[in-house]
Amino acid sequence: MTIQKLADRVMEGARIDRDEALELYLHAPTAVLGGLADAIRARKHPDRLVTYIIDRNVNYTNVCVARCNFCAFYRPVGAPDGYVLGFEEIFRKIDETIELGGGQLLLQGGHNPDLPLEWYEDLFRAVKQRYPAFRLHALSPPEVIHLSRLSRLPVPQVIERLVGVGLDSIPGGGAEILVDRVRKLLNCYSKATADEWLDVMRHAHLAGLRTTATMMYGTVETLEERLEHVFRLRDLQDETAGFTAFITWSYQPEHTELGGHEATGVDYLRTLAIARIVLDNFDNLQASWVTQGGKVGQLSLAYGANDMGSVMIEENVVRAAGASYCMDEIEIVRNVENAGFIPKRRNMHYEVLGDPIFRERAVPRMLELAVARTDGDTSRSPEIDRYAARSAAEKAARRSSAEDKAGRTG
Amino acid sequence: MASVIGAIAERLSQGGTIDASDAHAILDTHDLIAVGALADDVRRRMHGTRTTFQRVLEVHCDGVPASLPDALAAGEVRLVGCPPSAEAAIAAVRAASALVGAIPLSGFALADLQALAGGGTDALEQLCATLRGAGLQMVAETSVDAVNDAGAAIAAARRAGLLVTTLAVRALPADRGVSLLGLARTLQDSLGGFRALAPLPRTSSTSLPTTGYDDVKLVAVARLLATNIPSIQVDWALYGPKLAQVALTAGADDVDGVSAVETGMLGPRRSAMAEIRGNIEAAALVPVERNARWEAVGG
Ligand code: SF4
Repeated sequence: MTIQKLADRVMEGARIDRDEALELYLHAPTAVLGGLADAIRARKHPDRLVTYIIDRNVNYTNVCVARCNFCAFYRPVGAPDGYVLGFEEIFRKIDETIELGGGQLLLQGGHNPDLPLEWYEDLFRAVKQRYPAFRLHALSPPEVIHLSRLSRLPVPQVIERLVGVGLDSIPGGGAEILVDRVRKLLNCYSKATADEWLDVMRHAHLAGLRTTATMMYGTVETLEERLEHVFRLRDLQDETAGFTAFITWSYQPEHTELGGHEATGVDYLRTLAIARIVLDNFDNLQASWVTQGGKVGQLSLAYGANDMGSVMIEENVVRAAGASYCMDEIEIVRNVENAGFIPKRRNMHYEVLGDPIFRERAVPRMLELAVARTDGDTSRSPEIDRYAARSAAEKAARRSSAEDKAGRTG
Repeated sequence: MASVIGAIAERLSQGGTIDASDAHAILDTHDLIAVGALADDVRRRMHGTRTTFQRVLEVHCDGVPASLPDALAAGEVRLVGCPPSAEAAIAAVRAASALVGAIPLSGFALADLQALAGGGTDALEQLCATLRGAGLQMVAETSVDAVNDAGAAIAAARRAGLLVTTLAVRALPADRGVSLLGLARTLQDSLGGFRALAPLPRTSSTSLPTTGYDDVKLVAVARLLATNIPSIQVDWALYGPKLAQVALTAGADDVDGVSAVETGMLGPRRSAMAEIRGNIEAAALVPVERNARWEAVGG
């Protein structure tokens, strides 16, 4: 079929298949892809609302045994700059988030063998006790699988226990590309196969949770594999209707083992647009300004995105890989309005909460995203000693800290 | 608004041009894709997929080094910065000229040369002639909003033997640049000889920077309005690869400011050349390296 015929079919609202999507992705001019994506965005969101959320992106630990080769964030067990945040540190971050008008943490971290399921349960319980209305959008599918393996409990039971102590929704991280050939090459097959990732989401949706879906492209996958990823998400969404949104971003290569270079801005806009065209059962597509910068982030609104994502407040993962863009609420709103849309605050369920908070009350400006910890802070989480150590490195660290204490008192 | 853009598109398809009020209508619209496509049509009629770029070695006029990097592959050595006096400018040109060999040497902003010359057009012409004698070949920046009486100043520089091939914008005025793009078109009509117009402002407010929509629409308007100037240029270093690449799909066809030295910013794995070529090709365009004289270089 010609590009024009395919474009006509998309404009008529027809669902396209894998071959048709590939034809468009490979051969349609960028303006055609953008025009189709924009028309779909307009059909799904005729009110011209563009939403965003005020939440904080917190990484509770950078210690990880998965060792994905595209990741610049993790530290191996026992590394001197490995960290686990203490509960008080997390509470402080929540206080700051509330001050900025936020009501949710996006909480994700490494696969730390010394944090058992009980650590998460105690943390979630403590958060909900102190901040009953505060939301926890937490633990991407590979983290859930990691906890399932550590605790030797099936995934549905892990989800049930986490929901029991306050888990509100699951972020779609760790999807990378949902094709096992790619996952093996990225050394992330063992953390979760494509089926395992999708299965966690299936269970979460069956348990009544809403989740997001993501795609990190631009490593070693082919364009066909990128599309395979998007189609697998569409299939699961047909089955469960549990995804609230899709977010795609480009692999950030700096300081990673895999290296290489980042996909370009036009690649990003084309990928976003084809996702908007294929994912006819997804209501929302987010712009990834944190990887593309504010300018291309804003241009996303012309290529199918209807959401500017989060103000983030804090970011550690993308920054570790070389990108450090910042947009506070004022800047997000300015960009949304400049593109001719109406900015609205939302929650994770994409329910509109209201107008920009800074127009209701004074909110401190945020010109730089915070980090998990200040440089040189090597303090140990005070809670971690309550749980049995699993790794040899952690056991040794505890022995030496006990000897230190004995030395000081002896 | 769509009908306004539709009417402009109709006129353009019949070989017409746009005027200032059309330019304002385009800057007012939020239909970015349609605007980009209009400008891309014009660009493709003029250049097809050919996309030129040049590597530039920037040397600050306050501290010209004793030598240039080995095996330097640059289309231009550019003296940047504002010298404190005419003598300092001449000395910088002499020092740089001794190093550049066959690489074209450009330098200074025409507005700064005006200020250094002090007097009127004659004084400017005299200073330009002295700089030409010292080895300067072209003016590096001619921002139409920064130069007093741009037409007379450019003519004076050219009489003195300096090339002035590119018109630029230093800061966006309240009318979002439409008057400046119109001025560039008029200068080309009256003086001729301009190869490129760089419409994106060289300075931008840090608290209120231009947005992606602003930049892309301005590039598109420049392409549509200044059809008598062959190329619309974006600056790789100033605007960054992502925005510059998108601009290439919305009317721009020339990239300035690609680094001639590996800064390490791109990591050890990718050279500036691989980066620029990769970006142009990823936009389904064909990269052609050029030098400051607009001659194609390399393979
Ligand atoms: S991407 Fe996540 S799972 Fe993989 S190494 Fe990094 S922190 Fe660990």
